[in-house]
Amino acid sequence: MEVQPELASGEVKHLQRCINDLVSLLALPAIWSGGDPSQVLHTLLDALLRMLRLDLVCARLTLPVGEAPVEIVEIVRTAEPRASMPSAHEICEALSQCLKDGSRKWPPLLRNLMGEGDVSIVPLPVQGELGVIVAVAQRTDFPRQTEALLLSVAANQACIGLQEARLLAHQKRVSAELDQRVVQRTAELAAANEELKKELAERGLIEERLGREERELKRSEVRKTAIVDSALDCIVTIDHEGCITEFNPAAEHTFGYRRDEVLGKHLADVIIPPSLREKHRQGFARYLATGKARVLGKRIEMTAVRADGSEFPVELAIARIPLEGPPSFTGYLRDITERKQAEQALRRSEAFLAEAQHLSHTGSFSWRVATDEITWSEQLYRIYELEIGVPVTLELIRSRVHPEDLTLFERMVEEARVGGSDFEWQYRLLMPNHSIKYMHALAQSTRDQDGQLEYIAAVQDVTARRLAEEARDKARSELTHVARVTSLGTLTASIAHELNQPLSGIVTNAGTCMRMLAADPPNVEGARETARRTIRDGNRASEVITRLRTLFGKKEATNEPVDLNDATRDVLALSLSELQKNRAILRPELADDLPLVTGDRVQLQQVILNLLRNASDARSTIHDRPRDLLIRTEPDDNNRVRLSVSDVGIGFEPQAADRLFEAFYTTKNEGMGIGLSVSRSIIERHHGRLWAAPNNGPGVTFSFSIPCRPESLTSDSTRDSRIPSVSDGA
Amino acid sequence: MDALPREAHCYAMELRREKRAMERPLVSVVDDDESVRESLPDLLGEFGFAARAFSSAEEFLASDCVDQTRCLILDVAMPGMSGPELQRELKLRRREIPVVFITGQREEIVRLQVLKQGAIACLFKPFSDTAMLDAVNSALHPK
Repeated sequence: MEVQPELASGEVKHLQRCINDLVSLLALPAIWSGGDPSQVLHTLLDALLRMLRLDLVCARLTLPVGEAPVEIVEIVRTAEPRASMPSAHEICEALSQCLKDGSRKWPPLLRNLMGEGDVSIVPLPVQGELGVIVAVAQRTDFPRQTEALLLSVAANQACIGLQEARLLAHQKRVSAELDQRVVQRTAELAAANEELKKELAERGLIEERLGREERELKRSEVRKTAIVDSALDCIVTIDHEGCITEFNPAAEHTFGYRRDEVLGKHLADVIIPPSLREKHRQGFARYLATGKARVLGKRIEMTAVRADGSEFPVELAIARIPLEGPPSFTGYLRDITERKQAEQALRRSEAFLAEAQHLSHTGSFSWRVATDEITWSEQLYRIYELEIGVPVTLELIRSRVHPEDLTLFERMVEEARVGGSDFEWQYRLLMPNHSIKYMHALAQSTRDQDGQLEYIAAVQDVTARRLAEEARDKARSELTHVARVTSLGTLTASIAHELNQPLSGIVTNAGTCMRMLAADPPNVEGARETARRTIRDGNRASEVITRLRTLFGKKEATNEPVDLNDATRDVLALSLSELQKNRAILRPELADDLPLVTGDRVQLQQVILNLLRNASDARSTIHDRPRDLLIRTEPDDNNRVRLSVSDVGIGFEPQAADRLFEAFYTTKNEGMGIGLSVSRSIIERHHGRLWAAPNNGPGVTFSFSIPCRPESLTSDSTRDSRIPSVSDGA
Repeated sequence: MDALPREAHCYAMELRREKRAMERPLVSVVDDDESVRESLPDLLGEFGFAARAFSSAEEFLASDCVDQTRCLILDVAMPGMSGPELQRELKLRRREIPVVFITGQREEIVRLQVLKQGAIACLFKPFSDTAMLDAVNSALHPK
């Protein structure tokens, strides 16, 4: 080729640049190595655009993806767009038009394809069917020779790169598939492994268990033999034919057979009395046939027979031995001769007790205080007229207690809960038919095995006795009253009669005397005689009075030191039962260090008793409230000692207080006034005084106050109080 | 008269009583109490009646005075037959004599009872001489 110098230098530069570009193109695979096809194309197109100063470059590829249909990828790279420049899409469309004829051969160069403005298009077959690269430049000298060379090299490079990329992708896909397959297989192997491990472990466990079970079975056998041999109960096992397979020492002892004598023999022939053998055989046969048994799993009592033929009662429990194969059974037998005897003795004893309770109208109960668990005897149910066996509660008992005795009942329950000591009380029941029953209860406290408080009590229905007593008491008190009134009346009449006789004589004689003296002539002799008789009758009257005094006069009262507290306590002890009968609650408040008094102990006690009775009698009209009686001793002013008896029960009607005062000031037939007037005279004899006063609250207080014993006195001035003084009595 | 010995005086009194009895109505006194038996006849004598005293109802019934007695002064309560019983007995014998009861027991019930049975009066001892005179007079002269 002919070369001009200036031209030659331009040519050299051009060639140098071409070589540089060629080198760059050849270096491209290093850049896209490992990339996917699109990355290869991007890199190539960018390089061509820059290298050949193209206006547009694009690539169209059909990429086979596995066996899937061909996919067309278009990649377009442009330099700065110009107004006259066709779009990449238009170019591709144009190319498609020219390839429409079906020719798969790309033309090497297309010129002025778009008409306006020159565009050079260089289609680059990339391995023919794979695709095409189109380079577009508006330059007229495009493509120069060197540029065509570069383009074809580029096309080759693209082809190699794409093939490599395609290969790589294929490899990657295969590798990924392989990996996945490996993972899957690994997982399968791991699962299989796991299963194997599990299987091994299970096999180990089973072996271990089998070993353990075997050991346990051995131990259990030893244990069972020991139990069977040492059992107190007879243990007999039989097979499905009813033949004895085991006969323990207790059975040997009880029945009198040796084990080896009976093994293999029919059970029925050994221990069952002849009379029952047939029944036993039938039952056994029925069980074998139907599987239904009347005796299995139950405790039954029957008669058994010993080797010597003697019969005795046994308790029997039969259990089927839970083994496969023909059924076999274990029988547990216990000689219950002693228990039977004890049961009979107990029944007899219970019958005796019930009869005794019935005859004596006495019931019994136990009461566990902590749980309020109450057990009654049958007789108690009868007494309370409740259905035998209904659960007993305090509430139920309370429903029967007479309303007037409820307060007392509650108090007893309360005290019993905390007390823990034996107690005794009397109360009444109000039955549904409004009849009243009198009860007398005696309770003994015990502690059960847990140390809990429990009362065992006997309750007697004393209604009949009580009614008889009441009738007797009434009769007695009426008699006393009659006797007192009668004796008083008799006394009065007798005094009057005894005195009226001589008085009558005196009056008549005096009258006669006067008449004789007034006569004319006066009958002086007659008058003297009548006057003499008057004197004699006067003396007779005087004698009558002396005789009455001897007959009815009190003996001289004794004067001894008296402890009023002691005297009071004696009276309380004597009158407690009577107070209880009136359902009065007595509260003694006796002062400590009470000075002694001088007097007649018995007389003073009569006064105290009288005051208590008055209070208690007066209270008898009150039925709906508790009755509190307060008896109190205390030092009084002026070296005196005071004793008072008060009704402090709530709700003492004012009328009742009025009645008491009335009774105190009058002497009515009731005898109360008489008792009080006697009391007053006794107290006055003791230089004291007796009075009654209404309480601040309800009720009345009777008090007496008497001087202390002189020894107790300290000054001379107070000794004057011993001098009898006129008492106003109230 | 003072000079007369006691026995003689008594004898004289007895004679006078008997003599009067002939002409005066006889009043009999039956009482177990001696002072009444001693004093009352003297008083009755002073009133001008003939008087006899008996210590019991039985003694009176046994005496010969039953028919002559015009008025009977009778103690209510006596050992043995009582006053009212004697009154009933006389009624049974159809010999009804007016009765004046006297009693040492001041029992209104007794008084009413005997009055109901037909007594003339019932005087409580000690009674006044005039009350006795009134009672005897009304017995002897029924209106």
